[in-house]
Amino acid sequence: MQTKNFASWPIVLVLTAISLPLAIMYASLVIDSFTNTPAGAVLPNEFTLEHWAFLVDPTITGNVWTVTFNTLIFAFTMVVVVLSVSATGGYAMSRLNLPYRRFFLAGILVMHAFPSVTLIIGVFLVLQFAGLYDTLIGVILVKAALTLPFGVWIMKGFYDAVPWEIEMAGLQDGADRFTVWRRLILPQVKPGLVALGVFAFIDGWGEFLLPRILAPTTEFQVLSVYLNNVSVPDSVDYDFNLFKSVGLFYTLPILILFIVFQNRLMNIFGGGTKG
Amino acid sequence: MQIVLKDFTKSFDGLTVIDKLNLTINDGEMLALLGPSGCGKSTTLLAISGILRVNGGQILFGDKDVSNLPSQKRNVGVVFQNYALYPHMTAFENIAFPLQVRKTGAAEIEERVREMARLTHIEPYLDRRPGQLSGGQQQRVALARALVRRPDVLLLDEPLANLDAKLRLEMRSEIRRIQLETGITAILVTHDQVEAMSMADRIAIMDHGRIQQIAAPEDMYHRPSNTFVAGFLGNPPIVFLEGKAIGNGAFESASGMRMPLPERLTGLAADQPIVMGVRPEHFGVKGRHTVRGTVSFIEPQGRETHFDLTVAEGEVLRSIQAARTDISLGSEVEWPLDVDKALVFDSEGNRL
Amino acid sequence: MTDTASSSGGIRPDALVRPADPASDLEKAALKGRPKVSLLGLGMLSPAAVLLLVFFFAPVVLTTIFSFTNMTSATGISGGAYVLSPNLLRELERSGVDSDTLAALGTESVVVDQESIAAARAAGVEEDFLEEIEDDLLGVDFDSKQDFERALKDLPSHLRRTRDLKLAADHFLVSALNTRFATRAEASDAISALAPDIAPGTRDRILDASYTGWVWTTENFRRLATQPETLRLVLNTFFYVAVTLAFNVLVGLFLAITVFYLPKGTGMVFSVLWLLPRITPVVLYAIMWKWFTWDGGFVASFADLVGLPSFNYMKGSVPTAWTIVILVNGCIGASFGMILFSGALRSIPMQQLWASEVDGASRWQQVRYIILPQMRWPILFVTCYQSMSLLSSYEQIWLTTNGGPGNTTMVWALESFRTALSNYTGNLQYGQGAAMALVLVIVGLVLSIIFLRMFRFGELVEKPKIEF
Repeated sequence: MQTKNFASWPIVLVLTAISLPLAIMYASLVIDSFTNTPAGAVLPNEFTLEHWAFLVDPTITGNVWTVTFNTLIFAFTMVVVVLSVSATGGYAMSRLNLPYRRFFLAGILVMHAFPSVTLIIGVFLVLQFAGLYDTLIGVILVKAALTLPFGVWIMKGFYDAVPWEIEMAGLQDGADRFTVWRRLILPQVKPGLVALGVFAFIDGWGEFLLPRILAPTTEFQVLSVYLNNVSVPDSVDYDFNLFKSVGLFYTLPILILFIVFQNRLMNIFGGGTKG
Repeated sequence: MQIVLKDFTKSFDGLTVIDKLNLTINDGEMLALLGPSGCGKSTTLLAISGILRVNGGQILFGDKDVSNLPSQKRNVGVVFQNYALYPHMTAFENIAFPLQVRKTGAAEIEERVREMARLTHIEPYLDRRPGQLSGGQQQRVALARALVRRPDVLLLDEPLANLDAKLRLEMRSEIRRIQLETGITAILVTHDQVEAMSMADRIAIMDHGRIQQIAAPEDMYHRPSNTFVAGFLGNPPIVFLEGKAIGNGAFESASGMRMPLPERLTGLAADQPIVMGVRPEHFGVKGRHTVRGTVSFIEPQGRETHFDLTVAEGEVLRSIQAARTDISLGSEVEWPLDVDKALVFDSEGNRL
Repeated sequence: MTDTASSSGGIRPDALVRPADPASDLEKAALKGRPKVSLLGLGMLSPAAVLLLVFFFAPVVLTTIFSFTNMTSATGISGGAYVLSPNLLRELERSGVDSDTLAALGTESVVVDQESIAAARAAGVEEDFLEEIEDDLLGVDFDSKQDFERALKDLPSHLRRTRDLKLAADHFLVSALNTRFATRAEASDAISALAPDIAPGTRDRILDASYTGWVWTTENFRRLATQPETLRLVLNTFFYVAVTLAFNVLVGLFLAITVFYLPKGTGMVFSVLWLLPRITPVVLYAIMWKWFTWDGGFVASFADLVGLPSFNYMKGSVPTAWTIVILVNGCIGASFGMILFSGALRSIPMQQLWASEVDGASRWQQVRYIILPQMRWPILFVTCYQSMSLLSSYEQIWLTTNGGPGNTTMVWALESFRTALSNYTGNLQYGQGAAMALVLVIVGLVLSIIFLRMFRFGELVEKPKIEF
């Protein structure tokens, strides 16, 4: 809101002050990866690309592209699972007559509000029993399942916003419920699917805990684990600026996604609380 | 096709909203279901269209009991209040959709969509999406989509409510024209008496889940079966005076004002409590009785003027007359009342 | 509610006798008009239902079950075996079991058969030597290991070094010690064979003690209830949740309101900046904080510049460690509050604000008297929602201070996770960790039910409008 009654510079000043730590952190992430700033120096020195050599030289940190490709597969598979299951489940919850629908909805809401990481011990045991421990598929399933209550709830919200009349009109026109969903309703919730998909991708791309705990020795390393392994700050010959460039490299894709889809993501990041 | 509702009963969560409703819609007629919001008219429409399930009774299309058939198997065309056009499809695709799901051949789809477009005058807009169409055009597309698969019955749910006044007038006659041209049986659900009176062959007026009266518009206006119907039709509305018959063909209102009863009811027994209903057009123009009073409200309407005349404590008669400027607020006047046109109801509200 | 009518589906005997019973007619009518259960709906929901059942419901059940066991990575998660280890025998002796019996259990005997020869061959004992053993000693009984070794020395191609000889001899020793018996019966037979006159009570006691698998116990909860660390963990957790929550809500509110007053572009810069912690992968985010606060990092250098003590702010002292923990988590959560509050702010009618300005309100008065009173529900919502997610969040603390220095910034969820899945000694205590997680699950469930009631969940559930 803007009126000419108040000046905005005092606000900008205060905001800048409290945002400064974050701003410095992110700025130094970018700057340090292109300079030879020694640890502890406040100001950067000359420009260089040497810290980005890891992209082409696998002897530095191992082949980063394989790991990137793995992460891409991980995040993408998760997006597919989350989207398809949320799109169908959300529709059923929003529009179809089901026994115990209310109970199920309450359950989803509880699971959505209740952070699932607490269950990791139980999940660990489930995977052990299912023989999926230390496999990529197990981690993907767990990650997708943990995102589901959120996904189903968000999609239900988007379906709820589609007018009932469209659905009724579809039935009058002779289509069955499935056709109505696929041809008439699904196109209306496309913004929701895009937002949820991007969200799930960002979420999957950044996931660390699950691959680390549930698939500790698998060959299929993802970027988060890779980054964690190469950036132990206590080691002696540790190259501060290299790690920042690896970190920046890791974050860049989701930064771009975030900036492109920013507006659509806003109500997802708010937790989809509007229903 | 003739549509029959037999003892139709509908309840929600154990609460019965419509109890044993009986209604017949004749082949080729347009019947208006008229009533205030919450009277059950939309519930009836949704039950006929196969969206809601009946809790009792039957719905017959011709001889066929469709009560337990879902919408897809009923062959009903519906135009919703907000048109419910599919926003991601062009007008053409919208109209073609019912044919596509029936696996009609492409050539036939093309031909029938064009035919419908001609009928509803939307040929130039076929490749636009609903968002690029005006309200009236959207309405026409919705009509075309409902009619393209030649339904047994056309249901119109408040079809004019979302249009502005000028378009409403235009679409009123357009819908009627299309209905007459196709000869389809149609049910119009509306809360607007003018819409119902001007478009329908017959009106079924509903209140609290019950049909109060079914009749042709003129008939219903002049011979309402009860006070609810009389009060619902007519704008400005009818005025009711409560009182009793006092013998000798006269009526005395609660405040003591006396007037003669209509010719046909002079035989009413004395002391019978009755309600007189006086429509504004029957007061202030001509008649065999005159009423004195103070003008307490004047509303010029251009072509005509509405007056409120306070005749006694708490009793106000309403008059509608050709525009006149010679009366000012607070004037004492004596105007004729056409008592023979007045409506008389018993204490239960039924017309005598 | 679709499921309430399901109980009336059965045939009532009196309805059969009196078909005109009006009550049963009514029931029938209710049944007839009831919305049809959608098979498509069941089909569409089932993938979600299965995944949630397997990865939410089953873990909760397993957590509950295993919280009543002493399961660790030593016991394994499936069944165990019966093993008499030398350690176990020593322990039993200390606890008063007859030493003669134990000595009997510990006896070794020498068996020379094809099997033991094959075992020795597999272990790489010289072929010539083994052939001689097979020829001369096969089936011979020896009273003791010494006798056997003496016999071996007499063989022509015996091993020169005594150590090698002893090692070779070991392959022919048989003992109940360190043998894994799959069932209790097998173990019981072996014990009876070695110590024939053992009392049944003593035998059972030895069997119980020799079991390596997990057993049912309430010890986990007893330990939680009695150990002094529990109280400390609870206090730490409470402190962490309360302060981080306050940070989240206050900063979120502050950001939302200030951004609301700024021109669009400027406001966008700040809201994007504050959203970054939320989308940055957690590993990188944690490492960025480490870089920022460690000995040579920005904070330390800056502190040095302005004359403050310069040290590792993340791990160097308890107050700074707590500050960092709260900031790390707070910056992630602040954006959640910011987005929600911004939404609520946008829904305040502009006219109210214009009117207040016309009335001469200062900006502070505008915020205090117009905006804040209308933010009550969003604030309550963020508080409830965030308190639950903070209660069980540990990933960021794990990756930054990891509870240090000492255990000063340790919270309940992290301790439970560490106990069960990530401690340095390598013995993961699933049972104890599950018990701790169960406490969190129960607290979370109770809180979410309270919150659901508070936010009138019932009103969120709209019944399907199509009944066919």
